[in-house]
Parts: sequence; C-alpha cells; structure tokens
Amino acid sequence: MEINLNHVDYIQVGVTSQKTMKLLPAIGRKATQKVAVADHDGVLTCFGMKKGEAVPVFKTLPGQKISRLELGGAQGTPQEKIFVSCGSEVRGFTKKGKQFLCFEANLTESINAMHVSGADLFVCASYIYNHYCDCKDQDYYLSGDKINDIVCLPVETVGRTVPILACQDRVLRVLQGSELLYDVEVPGPPSVLELNDKDGGKEGEEVLYGTADGKLGLVKITESSHVSKWEINNDKRRGGILCIDTFDLVGDGVRDILVGRDDGTVEVYVLDSSNEPILRFEHVLSESVTSIQGGCVGKENYDEVLTTSYTGWVTGLTSEPQQMEAGPGEEVKMSKETQAKVAALRSELEQLQVKVLQGREKYQQSSQSSTAVSTVPVFSVNDKFTLCQDDASYSLTLEVQTAIDNLLLQSDVPIDLLDVDKNSAVVSFSECDSEQPNGNFLLATYRCQANTTRLELKVRSIEGQYGTLQAYITPRLQPKACQVRQYQIKPLSLHQRTHSIDQDRPVNTLSLVGQFSFAEIHSWVVFCLPEVPEKTPAGDNISFYFHNTFLGTQLEATYCKGEAHFKSDNISTISILKDVLSKEATKRKINLNISYDINEDSVSHTLTMIHPKLEYQLLLAKKVQLIDALKELQVHEGNADFLIPEYHSILDESAHLLEEYKKQPAHLERLYGMITDLFIDKFKFKGQNVKTKVSLLLEILDNYDLNSLMDFFNEV
Amino acid sequence: MEFVAKVVVACLCTRPYFRFRGFIVGKRTSAGRVCARGAIMLVPIFTLKLNHKVNPRMVTMGKFDGIHPCLTAATQAGKVFIHNPHTRGQRQVAHRLSQSAQDSDISLLNINQAVSCLTAGSLGPNTTGDTLLVGSQTNLLAYDVHDNADIFYREVTDGANAIVLGKLGEIPYPLAIIGGNCALQGFDYEGNDQFWTVTGDNVRSVALFDFTGDGKNELLVGSEDFDIRVFKEDELVSEMAENETVTSLCHMHGSRFGYALANGTVGVYDRTARYWRIKSKNHAMSIHAFDLNADGVEELITGWSNGKIDARSDRTGEVIFKDNFSASVAGVVEGDYRMDGQIQLICTSVEGEVRGYLPASKEMKGNLMDSSVEQDLIRELSQRKQNLLLELRNYDENAKATPGVSEGDSGMGVIPANTQLQTALAVRAATESQRAHIELSISTPNGTGWQYQSPEESPTEDSASQARLVFFPETIIRAVLIFAEGIFEGESHVVHPSAQNLSGCVRVPIIPPKDIPVDLHVKAFVGGKSSTQFHVFEITRQLPRFSMYDLNVDPDAPQPTGRVAFSINDRPQRVVMWLNQNFLLPEGIESPDVTLTCLRGGGLLSISMESNGEITLNTDDIDLAGDLVQSLTSFLAIEDLQAEADFPSYFQELRTTLTEVDEFHSVHQKLTAAIADHSNHIRNMLVQAEDARLMGDMRTMKKRYIELYDLNRDLINEYKIRSNNHNALLACLKSVNQAIQRAGRLRVGKPKNQVISACRDAIKNNNVNALFKIMKAGTASS
Repeated sequence: MEINLNHVDYIQVGVTSQKTMKLLPAIGRKATQKVAVADHDGVLTCFGMKKGEAVPVFKTLPGQKISRLELGGAQGTPQEKIFVSCGSEVRGFTKKGKQFLCFEANLTESINAMHVSGADLFVCASYIYNHYCDCKDQDYYLSGDKINDIVCLPVETVGRTVPILACQDRVLRVLQGSELLYDVEVPGPPSVLELNDKDGGKEGEEVLYGTADGKLGLVKITESSHVSKWEINNDKRRGGILCIDTFDLVGDGVRDILVGRDDGTVEVYVLDSSNEPILRFEHVLSESVTSIQGGCVGKENYDEVLTTSYTGWVTGLTSEPQQMEAGPGEEVKMSKETQAKVAALRSELEQLQVKVLQGREKYQQSSQSSTAVSTVPVFSVNDKFTLCQDDASYSLTLEVQTAIDNLLLQSDVPIDLLDVDKNSAVVSFSECDSEQPNGNFLLATYRCQANTTRLELKVRSIEGQYGTLQAYITPRLQPKACQVRQYQIKPLSLHQRTHSIDQDRPVNTLSLVGQFSFAEIHSWVVFCLPEVPEKTPAGDNISFYFHNTFLGTQLEATYCKGEAHFKSDNISTISILKDVLSKEATKRKINLNISYDINEDSVSHTLTMIHPKLEYQLLLAKKVQLIDALKELQVHEGNADFLIPEYHSILDESAHLLEEYKKQPAHLERLYGMITDLFIDKFKFKGQNVKTKVSLLLEILDNYDLNSLMDFFNEV
Repeated sequence: MEFVAKVVVACLCTRPYFRFRGFIVGKRTSAGRVCARGAIMLVPIFTLKLNHKVNPRMVTMGKFDGIHPCLTAATQAGKVFIHNPHTRGQRQVAHRLSQSAQDSDISLLNINQAVSCLTAGSLGPNTTGDTLLVGSQTNLLAYDVHDNADIFYREVTDGANAIVLGKLGEIPYPLAIIGGNCALQGFDYEGNDQFWTVTGDNVRSVALFDFTGDGKNELLVGSEDFDIRVFKEDELVSEMAENETVTSLCHMHGSRFGYALANGTVGVYDRTARYWRIKSKNHAMSIHAFDLNADGVEELITGWSNGKIDARSDRTGEVIFKDNFSASVAGVVEGDYRMDGQIQLICTSVEGEVRGYLPASKEMKGNLMDSSVEQDLIRELSQRKQNLLLELRNYDENAKATPGVSEGDSGMGVIPANTQLQTALAVRAATESQRAHIELSISTPNGTGWQYQSPEESPTEDSASQARLVFFPETIIRAVLIFAEGIFEGESHVVHPSAQNLSGCVRVPIIPPKDIPVDLHVKAFVGGKSSTQFHVFEITRQLPRFSMYDLNVDPDAPQPTGRVAFSINDRPQRVVMWLNQNFLLPEGIESPDVTLTCLRGGGLLSISMESNGEITLNTDDIDLAGDLVQSLTSFLAIEDLQAEADFPSYFQELRTTLTEVDEFHSVHQKLTAAIADHSNHIRNMLVQAEDARLMGDMRTMKKRYIELYDLNRDLINEYKIRSNNHNALLACLKSVNQAIQRAGRLRVGKPKNQVISACRDAIKNNNVNALFKIMKAGTASS
C-alpha cells in the first residue's frame, strides 16, 4: 500500500533539542491530540489545532534551555503529565499548564536525557545516571562514556526496573540498580532509544535504537543476555538518527516505525509478515528533525507524522489530502483561514519592523559613544563532525537557526575538501601561501544560497598529520556576526573504536615507561585517537581497541600509571604514535622510556590486507578506462557481439562501475600513499632512510603485483 | 510531496504511428498531476533512452523532410545521430548516412572529425526541409539529410566553436554564421563567404536576434575574453563585460536575452542592462527560452552539469520548475515531437536520456512546483518574523552589555561600540620578495588596554568626580574575506593570520589580472584575541579600472615608442576627471599630462593633452592604448573617433607573424600532397599483400604487411607534424585577427569599422604594406 503524506506547517517555536515534542493522549476516540513542545528559550508550548489554526493551550515563561520533554503519570492512568528537564532541574506540568513539580536533581552538570515512569524518574547528565523514586535518590551509576539517551523497560510487563543507557562508545548499558548488568554492542554510537510499540512488545523487552551514523536496530533485552532482532544499515548515507516513534500509520494493526534524521529525512518503516522492516515512505525536510511523533493533530480521522525541526518548526506530514479547488480562473484561491493568517502575520511583521528600526537606530547611536561596548549577538550552531566508516572521510554538518550567509573554512593541516552533491553553496578556494608564517593549508569560502540553514561538507584527512579545522559561520542576521567552531584532526584520525579485535594477527608493540600519571597518559591517548572519552576512566588501568576504517588494521591501547602499551599490526600506526607521544612528553618535560618491538611479519600481513582493496581498485580503474572506448566500438560496429566476454561484461556493468568509481575518489592514491608510508616507516624503525627509493616503489605499484611488492619490501 | 513512483515499462503511443521502440522507460499520460493544495508538478510526457552518448551543447532539432522534427546531436567518434521516430523503413544507406544497427530510429552520420558545433534550419531558398550544419575545428559541412547529399563543405581555418543560422542585418538570405578563433564568418547556401569580422578572443557562443529593436537581427557574440559583443552586420554596437567566458547565449523575447558563463552563472540581460543573474557551483550546459508555465512569456530553461533542469522567470530569476537527470544535461531544445501540434521542451542528457515536457495547461497556470504557494508564503513570513525577533533580541542584549567585562566574557568578542574599520588602497611597486600589487590595508584604529570611562556615564557612583578605568581587550582582525569577481582564482580571497600574528591591521595584496573596474566586498571578522564570536564588518570598495599604474617613474626607463594621437573637443578638466576616476592616484592630479609606470608589464605610459584638444598616449602596449581610448571616449560620450597610431615593435612582430602564416601554409600544402602520396602507396601495398595471401605466399604477405606497418607509423608521425603545423598556424591566424581587432579598438564608431573592414581587405589581397598603413592612419585611402 502506498503512503501519501502531505506537508503542513503548524507553528514555529525556538530552537529545539532532541526529543522535546510529544503528543498528549487523545481524550475522545476521534478527537485531535494536543502537542507539547519545548525549546531552547525555555518555553514549553502546548497547542491544539482548530480549523487549521494553532490554538495555544498554555505557554510557560522563558527560562533555561529545555533539553528533554517526557510524558508521565501514575501507572494505569493516561500518561498526560508533562515533564521537562532544564539545567539540572526537572519540572512537571499538568495538561492544563499548572506546574506541580519542580525537582532539583542536584547534579553538577545539566540533564541531557530523562525517562519518566510512574513515580520513577531517571535522569542522565554527561556521564552520570541517577534514579529517583518519588523524588528520593535510589540508584547511581557512572558510565564509561557519554550517555546519549535513556529508556526503561516497562515495569508493569517486566516486573522489575531495567534502565538502559545509550552510550557514545557504541554500547547500550543495561543496569540493575546501581550495577551494570551487561553491555550490548551496537554498530554505531547510539543516539536515541525507544521502546518498540511504545510498550516494549509483548514481553516488554524490545528496544529500538538509532545511531549517530544512521543505523537503526531492534534488540531484545532479557534478564541475562540480549538478542539482536534486526539491523538496518545506512546504505544511502543518510544522516544520523535523532528520534524514533512507533505508530500504526498504515492501519494494519502493527505499529510502523517513524524515524527522523539529522539531515532532515523522515522515514516510515513498515513491518512485513516476517517482522522485517521495509522502508515505505521518505520525505526530506530542510532541517534536522529533532522529534517525531505519530498521531492525529490537524484534522480528525486523519493520521499524521508530526515532526519538529532544529529551528523549531512543528510540521505535520498528514494523510489528509491537501487538495483544493484549483479554479479554472486566475490564481489558486487561498482559503479564508490562510488569508487571515497571512494578514495577521503581515501586520505583526510591520510592528516588528518598526521596533527593529528603533533598535537599529539606538545601536547606531551607541556606536558613536566612546565608552559603550558592542557585544556579538549569540546564535546557536548545531554542528557535528564525524568519521564515516565506509569511505574513511569526515563529514561536517553545520546548522544554524537562521539562514547562513557564508562560511569560511580554515585548516592548519593538509586536508582535502570534497564536494557534496546536496550542497548548493558556491565554494571558492583561496590561495594559501604556506611560506607565509600564517600556516594555512586550506582556506575556502562557501557562499550560501538564500534560505540555507544547513550545510554539509566532507573532509579527507591523512593519518599522521594533525591539527585543527576551523569553521567561521556568518548567518544572515543583523548586526552581522560570526562564530568560530574548531574541530580537531587527530593524528590517527581514521581510527574508530571497536570492542573486540583479532588476537591472531602479527603485532608490533610500542611500550612507554615513565613518570606520568594515569590522567596524563589518558590525555595523550585522547589527543591521538578519536572516540575516546575525555574523562579519565575509573580504575587503575584501561584498554581501548580501535580499527582503521580505511585499511582494516587494528590497534590496542592498554595503559595505566607509568606504563603504556600499544599494539598494532600496522607499522605506520605505531610510528605515528611514537612520534606524537614523544613530542607530547617532551612538551611536558616528562622523561619517557620508549621501546618498541617490531614484527617483520606484520608488514607482509598488512600488505596482504591491502592487496584485495588495491587489486579491486586497480581493476576498477582499468575497467572504467575502457568503458568509453568499448562504447564507441559498440556504436561503430552496431553491436558488441564480437567482443570477448570480459569486455562484454564491462559494457554490461558500465553504469555500476562508474558509480563505484565515483563513490571513492582518489581511493587508489590514498592506498598508494599508505603503502609508501608503510615502506618508509618499516625502515625508519631499522634506522634507515629510504626516501630515495620511493620512486622505485611507485614504479612497482604502477605495475602492481603482490609478490613483487613484498619482495621489494624485503629486499631493500 | 510525492511518493516515489515506480517506473513502468510501457509504450507511449497515443497515436498509432508514433512509437518509440522498446527504449521507453517511463510513461505519463497527463502532463500534470494535482498535488498538495492544488499546486501542480510538471512531469515529462515522454522519456526515452537513445543509448548514444551526446556531446554537450551539440543538440539541435531539425525538420529535415520539412515535416517531422528529428532530434539531432553529435556523439562520440566524430558522428552525428539523427533520431527520427516518425518514419520507418525506406531508408537508403549511402554516402555519409548509415542506419544504426542498435536502433532503427537512429541514423548515424559520419563526420570523421571531432564535431565542435551543429545546428539545423532552413538555409537554401528552394529546399524542402532543414539543412544540417556541422562544424569542426577545420571545416563546416552543410548537409541535406533528406536527399542525403552534401550542400557544401568548406574549410574554415579559424575553426567553428559556435554556430547560428538565420538572417543578419540587411543581408536578404539566411546565413550560417560560425564563430571561431577571434573571427566570425557567415556562409550562404552556396557556401560563399558573405560575412566576416573579428572579435576580441575565441568565440564560444553566438545568437541572432533583434537587439536594437529596428526590425533586423543583430549578432551577439560571447567570447573567452569575458565580453558579450553585439554586431549590426560588421559594426560593433554594444559591448557588455562579464567576468568569465561566455558559454551560451539565447534570445528570450523582445530585446531580452539569456546568457551563461563558464563559472556557473546564468542570467538575463535586457539590452545592455543586466536584469538578474544567479551563480551555482555547477555549470550551465545549455540554456533555452521556453514558455513552460503558459503565461505568454518565455522562461529561461537551464540544463546544468549535475543533471538538473530548471526554469526561471525571466523577470526575477525565481525558479518555477525543476527536474533532475541522472547525468549532466547535454542540450535543451524544443519541437513538436509527438506531432500533435503542441511544442514540447525537450531535454537531453549526455548519456542519451531524453525527456519531453509540455507547457502547463491553462488551469494550472503559474504553479509548477511541488509545494503549495501559501504554505511557502506563510513559512517565509514566519521566517522573517523569527529573524526580526532575533535581531531585536540582539539589540536588547547589546544594550544590556556593560563595559568593563570580565575576562571570562572575552570569548564573546566584546569590542568598543565605536570601533571603526578603515580601508585604504595603495599602489605598491615590485620589491625583491613580492610582485607589484595593489595593497588593501584594513585596520581598526582602536587602542587597547585601559581606557578612561568618562564620569557622566556612571552618575550613581560616589566617586563620580573620578574617571573610571575600564579594560578593553585588544581588538583584532581575525580574518578578512574579500569577494570580488574576476580578480581572484575563485570568487573570494581569504586572509587568515595565524594566532601569533593577530593584529588590528591586515594588508592584502591584490593583483588584478586585467584592467577592469572591480567592486571589492570586504568582510572583516573583528573581535578579541581569544574570541569565538566576532563582529563582521562589511565594506565595499571599488578598484578603479586602471589601478596597476604607478605615478613613481624611474627616470632611466626607456621612453615608449608606440603612440596613439587623436583630438577631442572637450576641456582638459574633463580628462583630468577621467584620470582621477579611473586611475589609483594617491591625491589626485590637476593636469592631464601624466607619466605612469605599468606595474603589470613594466614600461611607461604617458598621457599628454595639447591646448587644442589633441591627446597623445605613449605606450608600447597596444591593448592598453585601446582600453584607454575606449574608456576615455565612453567617459566623454564620444561616438566617433579617428586616431593615428604607431606601434613599431608590435607591428614588427605582426610582420613576422604574417610571414610565418605564409610558411605554415606552404608546409601545409606540401604535407597534404605527401599524405595523398602515402595513401596511394597503402592502397597498392594492401592489394599486394592480400594477393600474396590468396596465392598462399606467406613470406611476401608478411613482408608487405611489415612494410605497411612501417608506412603506417610514418603516416602517424606525419600526422603529428601536420597537426603541430596546423596548431601553430591557428595560433598565428588568431594573432592576426587580434591585431585587426586591436587596431580597431584604437578608434571608435565608424572609423573603427572602417579600419576593420579595410584591414580585412588588405589581408584578402595579401597586401601587407597596406595593412600596416591602415593600422597607422586609420583609413584605407592614401
């Protein structure tokens, strides 16, 4: 069955955080539902729709930024009490807007995730989890990495309290009281959790999760272990998931899964007969979708998907046909309500304009005074800088509450800026004299088209070269101001955290012994590797595992006070670590005793790992080169029957080949670069400088053959 | 919004005789579909895959039999294909034309040369159908597809980069006008050269329409020197300067026309005034005027390199319709492809995908986009409201801010309210480490550190009599962005000093590559040293046209030998005014007599004016002299200007070039003869070798084939020589054409055209001495 949904805008509130909009339960069977939405201005708005007009039920006064909104109520009654978290406080409101609770959680940090169930309140700050029952402290847990979301299995079905934390280090932590019950590994950093079917399914144990790299999955959390039901990969490279809801939109009695992503995509997955989700509807909004709900808001009997966007638009995708009598005459007639709406908006705008003019005048006057100061207007920027696993490049997304005018990118490390198709901004690279003492390696401006609030960029880094990427964002807002955001390009930028590694590979070891504290060595590891929590881990020693997203090699870091060991099958990784760590230690005047143990086999092991990738790329490049010539032959001869099967298949697959080739620009060059690094690093550890032989190596690579390459590595 | 429609493989036929064979991938029966709130989205009425690559910009529509429109496009391997779905069978295979074996609707035309442009239209007076014209780098072919015969095949030494067919000025019959390397040439139906003129650089686009509104067509030419020139026959009537190579031109309606540039700009001009333009990161491949929303006015349809097609209102540039192809668009044309009396817009991608769109019917007038107007309106208004609210909040917060901020707030970028940004432009001569440049210095003169706050500002204080010390963090310029057209590699230039080198002053060297006036849009990020937020100061400065000239003159520099002299009827003060406006002079000058150093090429430029109004420009750079003459005359509104000129060194160069041209020509002839010789050899040898094979004499056969192989290698070498020779010849011819253009630019109006046509005659008659006389004196006589 086809789902046809139409876009309707309801109202706009301030900038919103993730999961800050909920639908209140319907009163009658067919009535429309009220919407509760909270924003960064601290305003909680509750409204309903009447004849296409948003009628506010109540609105609270501005205050601290609201980070979450949840519904709750006594067990067995309708869940219509509204709870919001702002700062370290949790407030409760009735559906009429009366505040009945103001609870100070006494956390040092502000709350960023919350769950309400009956009299139980679960809140999380960055690393801390707290459970309160009737506002009394119950349990406490300190997580190893940042907590992104929390959900609790329904007590009424499961019979016990099972809080589940979504943590940045790619695990769901299942708790029991103040103790960790077990970990559930998920394929990416989980960003949102939701109970399946709103109540966790029949047994109440099913949890949906969405990850920051766009994957979606369902796990069953049983008493002792977990069962992964299904997982959807992000093949289309959509944005990260910010919100999930379940709602029966199709009307087949099974709740469908609604997903909102940070690139503005709204998706509806329908479960098929074998309970596998299938994508049935997709719509792209212009901003990231922070909350999503299924219900009925605009008109009775018409179900819809309600979303809020980053800039605060509450938008419905309704099944109500938005058809209008398109008269044969002149313009499409506007309905009376919309005309009134437009007129009201216009008069409001006029009043505002006058006020703004006054404000401008005052501002001008103040600029004459020699003592007044001028501050920069603050605007919020929603940014994300993440490593994409499949093409080993970083993607930078920036979102501002108003339209972006221009963006300046500056980097002090050599990086490549890749074109993203979705972008309509005009990019222009500026010359950067590296001779100058300014040390710029990249200076690029993006001039945005009108109404661009969101920008997506792709950046390719080289391991071993580290520094900072800075983005200066200037929105179209008077008085003009810009904000700078910094992103670290770490020395081992292409590494990603993982939970287990292959222990059988030949490894090279780097050992550090010296007078450093646990916190110091941890800060060095944070400096070198991405996805390591900044907070020094609890305990005396720690191990982290990583894998290289580009080559598939791995790294194990184990360290404690005064001692650290790094193991990797890739010599280059060890070499980079050695350089960076010794530099860092020298900076802090710490005497380090560095020793390394190089395994010759690891080089050939790494080369064999690269081999299939390289071979594939070489073959692909060769095939792509042939496509045009073969096509010409085909046109010339009228058919392709005379060609040998190999060429035939190239012709048949040409579209696919070209697509594949386009997907990985400069892949071959990157592989060559890494092999060259490997070559230099291997001999660096032996104390030999082989830079003069690099040209020979490139020659061998041009006529690539695994054996001759290995021979070359061994011979020199 | 619309749910993704599944592609249905079906036949398009709405009429019995009209069928596309099997290649149809999509089918839509009605032209529009009612979507959200009555807004209508236009969908293609037909889609077909031709399975041939299409060269970008080489697509046309021709009615070769006088009735049926056929999509015609250049494809790879020097071929042109003609897609004719209307008639089947009864097609002879002869001469150039051959049926494609893949698809019977497609005929292939062998050109055997890389096609560089093509068009179709009626050329001859008594032909039934359209003539196909195909241009390559060396030849122009006029071909009658219906009769399958060449009409003419002419050698064009200047190449054919762009072609247009139609009537020009008072010439009574249509001409095929091709634009090549600096030259424009028009041929009639017999292949006679009826029109010739020169232009500033390689021609990239041409268009014919009534620009002046006098009922006769003018020729518009876009070239690689970023200019759009308008020719009334061979008289240059207007010139519009753009900032990139002009790749496409198309007539919209009346005196309005669309243009596209190589940097992704498209826009619309009305006569010489630009109406609107937009810039995209993609490149406009093809532009076309078509009334898609049926409101009686053509929209500008643009096909982009990323596969996007959009239709923009000719008045505002607002997008009223868009669609996407999977590959880059190759061409946009129109024609009645279904033969039902309705003209469709037909778009072709480089991969051979073709889509046809019908204009919107009357009832769906105006609304082609897939979203509703009122929704958008409300959204836009709310957005504006939000912006105003934000702005208001900013002012409120600013008013609250008090001086004497603590250190913790320094990240917020607090600066004194009276901070001003000063900019200055200065000419800097070359030093050892830096090339000559114009220096734009941007500075905030604010002092740093402790400042006294005057007591009346804080009247509540007890110590009101005492001034209060307030700490202002140092105000620095974090970065400077300069957006300007045509002087940087991209559209912007950034200066971002490293953290150690931050200060309140930034100097930006600018080296404009050409003498053009430029607006510099400067954005400076001003704040504290450790700020994460900055104030953005926006300033626009204009760089005068002749900015790379310095008043400091090296007394030892040799005097220029070249000169132009002309007289004007104007006061010297007006010339002084022109000088001050167009040169970057530190504090202005009083007399029209100046001597300057050219920073770009070195050498001197001196301008002097006699009391009788005679002006002499002394410089060795003939281009500069031309620019100065054109700039001065347009400032003084002079319509006709005769001038005497002498540029000994340039003329000497030109003389050498002319002899070179002769040499290259003779080499060319020799080589052609040699090649004919070789091909005879090949024929013989091939026959001998095949004979030997039939006789079973394998040794002789082998020998012959080895010989043949050697000969082939020789031929390839010869070809290389020939093509080098040809390229050298082209370069020489281009410089000759440029010389004529330059000689013309020293004059204005009628004298200018006289010079150009006289020079052309001199070259035709191979009279080199006369050529130089004309260039010097400006007239053909004496």
